[in-house]
Amino acid sequence: MARIGVFICWCGENIARTVDVARVTAACREMAGVRCAEHYKYMCSDPGQSLVREKIASEKLDGVVVASCSPHMHLKTFRRAAAGAGLNPYLLEMANIREQCSWVHQDRDRATEKATDIVRISVAKVKRDRALTPIRVPVTRRALVIGGGVAGIQASLDVADAGYDVVLVEREPSIGGKMAGLSETFPTLDCSQCILTPRMVEAGQHPRIKLYSYSEVEAVEGFIGNFTVTIRRKARYVDMDKCTGCGECQKVCPLKRNLSEFDFGMGMRPAIYIPFAQAVPAKPVIDKAVCAKIIRNGCGLCEKKCAPGAINFQDEDRLVEEKVGAVVVATGYQLYSIGREQASARLHGYGEYGYGKYKDVIDSLQFERLVSASGPTNGELKRPSDGKTPQSVVFISCVGSRDNAKGLAYCSKICCMYTAKHTMLYKHKVHGGQAHVFYMDIRAGGKNYEEFVRRAIEQDGAMYYRGRVSKVTEENGKLLVRGADTLAGVPVTIEADMVVLAAAMRPADGVEALAQKLNIGYDENGFLLESHPKLRPVETNTAGVLVCGACQAPKDIPESVAQASAAASKVAITFAADELTREPEIAHINEQTCAACFACVRTCPYHAVEKAEIRARSGALIKRTARVNQGLCMGCGTCVAVCPSKSADIEGFTEQEIYAMVEALA
Amino acid sequence: MSRANGFEPKILAYVCNWCTYLGADLAGTARLEYPPNVRILRLPCTGRIDANLVVKAFEMGADAVLVSGCHPGDCHYTAGNYHARRRWMFFRALLETIGFDPRRLHFTWISAAEGKKFQQVITEITEQARALGPYRPYEAKPCVERPRPLATPPPAEDFAAAGQELRQTAARLLNEGTVKVVIGHGERGPVFVTRAEDAGNLVWNANCLSNLAVYLKRKEVRELGTPAVVVKGCDERALLMLEKESQLEREGVHVIGMACGGMGRAKCAACDTPRPRFADETIGGERAPRDGDRYAALEPILAMSAEERLSYWTAQFDRCVKCYACRQACPMCYCERCLADKNRPQAIATSAHRMGNFAWHISRAMHLAGRCVGCDECARACPAGIDLRLLNLAVARVAEREFGYRAGMDRDAEPPVGAFAAADKEDFIG
Repeated sequence: MARIGVFICWCGENIARTVDVARVTAACREMAGVRCAEHYKYMCSDPGQSLVREKIASEKLDGVVVASCSPHMHLKTFRRAAAGAGLNPYLLEMANIREQCSWVHQDRDRATEKATDIVRISVAKVKRDRALTPIRVPVTRRALVIGGGVAGIQASLDVADAGYDVVLVEREPSIGGKMAGLSETFPTLDCSQCILTPRMVEAGQHPRIKLYSYSEVEAVEGFIGNFTVTIRRKARYVDMDKCTGCGECQKVCPLKRNLSEFDFGMGMRPAIYIPFAQAVPAKPVIDKAVCAKIIRNGCGLCEKKCAPGAINFQDEDRLVEEKVGAVVVATGYQLYSIGREQASARLHGYGEYGYGKYKDVIDSLQFERLVSASGPTNGELKRPSDGKTPQSVVFISCVGSRDNAKGLAYCSKICCMYTAKHTMLYKHKVHGGQAHVFYMDIRAGGKNYEEFVRRAIEQDGAMYYRGRVSKVTEENGKLLVRGADTLAGVPVTIEADMVVLAAAMRPADGVEALAQKLNIGYDENGFLLESHPKLRPVETNTAGVLVCGACQAPKDIPESVAQASAAASKVAITFAADELTREPEIAHINEQTCAACFACVRTCPYHAVEKAEIRARSGALIKRTARVNQGLCMGCGTCVAVCPSKSADIEGFTEQEIYAMVEALA
Repeated sequence: MSRANGFEPKILAYVCNWCTYLGADLAGTARLEYPPNVRILRLPCTGRIDANLVVKAFEMGADAVLVSGCHPGDCHYTAGNYHARRRWMFFRALLETIGFDPRRLHFTWISAAEGKKFQQVITEITEQARALGPYRPYEAKPCVERPRPLATPPPAEDFAAAGQELRQTAARLLNEGTVKVVIGHGERGPVFVTRAEDAGNLVWNANCLSNLAVYLKRKEVRELGTPAVVVKGCDERALLMLEKESQLEREGVHVIGMACGGMGRAKCAACDTPRPRFADETIGGERAPRDGDRYAALEPILAMSAEERLSYWTAQFDRCVKCYACRQACPMCYCERCLADKNRPQAIATSAHRMGNFAWHISRAMHLAGRCVGCDECARACPAGIDLRLLNLAVARVAEREFGYRAGMDRDAEPPVGAFAAADKEDFIG
């Protein structure tokens, strides 16, 4: 016979006003298996908790029901109290007679009756409760950071400085990301490379950071504390150990006219190239799509020139495996492709702006390269078509952003600021020039942001027009920009030498495939989903996987850095413990009765159920079965619902417990 | 429950822990009053709630049942609610066919912020249940009338030549040592031929109805060694499903396909696989597929009112003696321990009374959702003559109409249960 104790709380007047606690208590004493029932004014108070503890000891209780408020309020409190008295905390249940009874009913008789039923359900459940112990999972104290932009660098450095090893994976030949290509940054106009490159070097040289550049995450398996990551090291054709980074190979390469990815097509690079002077690692890579040696076994000049013999045309992709305990995703963004092919049928592009048609219509990242001191023009602003200095430049905001019809519904957040910055950079380079901006609204929320925009307008004389541009055409060597000034209520036509389009921010290519490998969510635009927008902004719904930077939503550098540090601190918190403990309320499979149909394997939202084999000592297959990976299971119970033989079950909500609860209502 | 002021309905709400339970808590915090008839059972996720639990609630005398969880996209477990939503589509079609009152079963999405919605939903459900009166589906009056069986084309086959070829094939396979046993039809049921000289025991005639795929899973058959199995186009679908569900390794079975022009069963009228498609060898030439309505048998049932349907099935299930012949004959029922044989908890009552019989047949049909290959063996095996195929058709129709899926037709198609689409229909969810 069970020895259940029921403790009914008055919650002052909150419960006692509408529920006759004495009557509930009396009714409880009649329930089978109930050893004692008590009521008290404040069960969560110290004397209340003492009462529970005393009764557990004196009555040798093997199950406790506390009838009071919502379990979301005090389940942990009372389970701790029970544990203090030596009772397994999972043998304590709460009956919610406040939020779901006394607070929502007036009729005292019926509320009392309902409260009794609620306690009855809980008594039925607690009788079938099993003593559980938290699951302990070992931790590999090593983090994987995916993406080596400013967010990934920050996260890597923070984790490494906290004393844990980091594996940093970057798919481009160098870390640095988009920020490395920016000219100056708002709102301080400090040089982007001046602030970023020291961090890049630090990340490249940090004894705790293992950098895989020109590499991609191929597969991820495992769970928090115990991930196994397969990384594809793409063939670089240059032996990183032998290469000294002297750069002689670049000079001799005859194929010099390839569009530079780093310059967003504004400049040229050879077939063997170091993407930019400050690259980390500052070692070249061969573009196998253009290299004459690789394509038709010609040339080979770089190999002859390379003194250390670092060139290896036989290089192949290699897969390496790394074991890590946490993953930080910092894959960043790309710009909405304005006129070219679109990623999905939902997006239409803006052909009317002449991007791709007129050489002097460029996007904002291309403009950054044109004004950057390290750019193809060494910081001198020359327009792409004829190298002349543009005397009039039109900047168009919200190209793709905030446009449900043709683009993306969201605001890309940083364009207002960098467009203001662009007008200033332009004015500082071309003193006699005129910047024009077409905008929808100016969104300049942030420290010194609004002031910065005012400076662009008032000190540097940028002309701002509130309105959209309908068309950009070319006439007599000038770009005619036709738009509207909706504040003045007039159409505007501007003769420009150059047009810069502030294209929307989109998640980087391939992020959805990566999210699927990591089993994390993404929204309809492909931005990765945080676990809770307010309270868990860098966590995802897969434990141990964190997000930061523009892969989660459009954001600027300070925000990306802040989020990266937040993610790093979550990693450090995970690694601070010797082992992880997890709530034991997760699924398990009865391997005796499992028929191995694997419906659960297909259904589990966390891929936590795996196919397993039971083999005899001789190695002969006895049977196949599903098996739950305790590290991955989150305890939703979807496997139980699809299991025809109910060989799957979850602790804390077992079939027995639930049926007992329903039957208690008969 | 108080009966002082007349009838007070009993409402059972299965809610998820993260959204609706917190929505109910919020209703409390905001002091939003609603009728005290509801009893809330907290579960981790709507994904955890299966058809058996809903049936159990009705068995326990619930006048209405609510299942409620997080809005699409909000699931704490990312996709539990999507899986639930998909299953409910099948369950609702099944309940409709059986004649359960759809006004007694409610599905809603209520978020943790929607205390007001929780109040409204509970109030509406309670008032509706009060107006409808007590729900006693298990007290329906059995109706003796049955839907008329469909006219089916008689078999018009040249069985003799194919039979001869089958026997030769079996003898050859056994002589070659390709297989150790040939599972085929005999004069009085299945035969398991292990010696070439016994191949003469194999027959091929209008009585070769049974789906022999069912024997491949039997331990005593497996112990005989590599089998060959004789299948018709319809039977073959079960092989595909067993393979899909990891119960069978296709290369470990030699499949002898028999082209079939119909065996005079109702299913034959709509047969579009008269010739097995994936057999290792097929006996008999091309046969014309038939384009009858696969779901025609459902029409007479669905033409009845809900009350008539319930009384029809009450009469049917009252005859069920829980012999489980339906289970034994079904190639897709292969659990090592059937839910019906488990007693902790007793999800399905063991004795052959009305409640337990309803629970068994509902449960069986749900387990076959998106899996039933329509071989009809359950109905043929039933000694009480219950037309069980109708229940399977009801769920199979959802799979085909909503998801373009027919079990056992396409090796690579994803089964509809255990998967979901964000855009799944949810017009029945409040």
